[in-house]
Amino acid sequence: MTGAELSFVVDGLVEEGADGTHLLGSRCNGCNTLYFPQMASCPNPACQTKVLRPETLPREGTLYSYTIQRYQPPALFRMRNWKPYVLGLVDMGEGVRVMGMLAGVEEDELEIGMSLQVVTEPLFDDPERGAVATYKFAPVGVG
Amino acid sequence: MRPVYALGAGAHPWGKWPDKPQVQLAVEAMGAALGDAGIGWPQVEGLVAASSRFEGGMGWGLHANEVVQTVAEQGIPCINVGGACAAGAIALQTAYSLIASGQYDVVAALGAERMPKGFIPRPPGSKDDRTDNDYLRWVAMGATNPAYWAIEARRRQHDHGTSAATLANASVLMRQNASGNRYARYRDPLTADDIAASPMVADPLHLLQICPVSDGAAAVILGSEDFVQKSGKAAVRVAGCAIGSGQFGDPARRIPTIASTVREGVSHTSEVVGAVRRAFEMAGIGPEDVDLLEMADNSAWHILAWPELFGFYEAGKGDWMLDNGHLAIGGKLAVNPSGGFLSFGEATTAQALLQVAEVLWQLRGQAEGHQVQNAKVGMTAVLGLGANGGSIILSR
Repeated sequence: MTGAELSFVVDGLVEEGADGTHLLGSRCNGCNTLYFPQMASCPNPACQTKVLRPETLPREGTLYSYTIQRYQPPALFRMRNWKPYVLGLVDMGEGVRVMGMLAGVEEDELEIGMSLQVVTEPLFDDPERGAVATYKFAPVGVG
Repeated sequence: MRPVYALGAGAHPWGKWPDKPQVQLAVEAMGAALGDAGIGWPQVEGLVAASSRFEGGMGWGLHANEVVQTVAEQGIPCINVGGACAAGAIALQTAYSLIASGQYDVVAALGAERMPKGFIPRPPGSKDDRTDNDYLRWVAMGATNPAYWAIEARRRQHDHGTSAATLANASVLMRQNASGNRYARYRDPLTADDIAASPMVADPLHLLQICPVSDGAAAVILGSEDFVQKSGKAAVRVAGCAIGSGQFGDPARRIPTIASTVREGVSHTSEVVGAVRRAFEMAGIGPEDVDLLEMADNSAWHILAWPELFGFYEAGKGDWMLDNGHLAIGGKLAVNPSGGFLSFGEATTAQALLQVAEVLWQLRGQAEGHQVQNAKVGMTAVLGLGANGGSIILSR
């Protein structure tokens, strides 16, 4: 899935590369800290520079923790054929932990520490925008 | 800095009160607090309100002003503070400072809230783009508040082997404590089976392991040593009073962010841990001196994790402490003898002031039905959106 034909829930969260979807964050020129999503400034109090540049995160990370969202969230959240889904917290390296939906993994396959990679998946259909996608995390080799 | 004392406290019982506007709840809590302190409105020299986000305030959060315009127009300073669920602690800190500075002798802190039904809605005024975390977390993944707590709880299960039974015990204990507290909304005892039978909201947390929302109001009146001596009133010393915000690199899954950059050596829930440490320093005491802890138990996980974060015992020991009755009334450290948020339901801005009221009544031996025997030192700890933390220590 390239995701190129999809509109995204929010602009500026991901970048599609030759090898697939990458989360798009910021790195600080001063203290070298990596952030996701893109930040307005560097919140490191020891950093005097606070000049950020966009930077993509590695595609792969490891599952740090997770839950299953059993109740339908408020209306801002839209999903085709709503049903409970897995929300994960994924360690992307350099201390960056990112929350997101998981794809292509059954409940009984979930294991803290498992390898996951960022993918783009359609989330809902909008009359004007068509299929709208979000980023998700899937086991390596899925999606 | 002058010593500061708690003169009295009052609360309106927690529940759903569709027929009472928020200002009415506030006025009743203030009236109860004045009665408890044995003083009247003319002696109150200042009022600090933890401003409601949901009702009243003339669109500017002017809740203290609304209260005095309703019940006692006497020219006093009205200060209205924000801080989400920690606003009550920030209001108390503000009142404390007004007295400690020497500027005033009697100042009240107040919080009153009527909560909307269901999930707390996203606030108005933010842009629908990636600069607003509270937009991102909904549109990109539908992350409800319980999902954040559940992610913490699941990780604790991985790190410390916390069982479903222990997580259930946290809710059982809170209900047991609340059963004797007339201010609590939910007072029927629960069994572990009741909890397991309640719907799963966000694994591993069931509905009865997550705090609901309620309406409620609480007020605390503080006074100077001069006032205490001149009036001859019994009073309890505010030994520590601190607020704080978060530290860079905090590993907590902070609502409503969708990501964080974690740094080694930074406290989890640093906004609260920082306030707790400063309150301990001010009081010149440590965890071993505390008889009871009133803390924000937004979920069963909090009951297990927070006392560890504050240094009451090492990480992972909370399960054993809870399962062996050491966190119960009569245990080594009574945690939430009031019944906590799990039994009250959260009335956001009022919650931290109810915590202080509870500690005051406990230290006076007036916590009817849920008294911690011979309680001498009590501590509060609360967390608010925006990485606000607060902690207050009362000591007799």
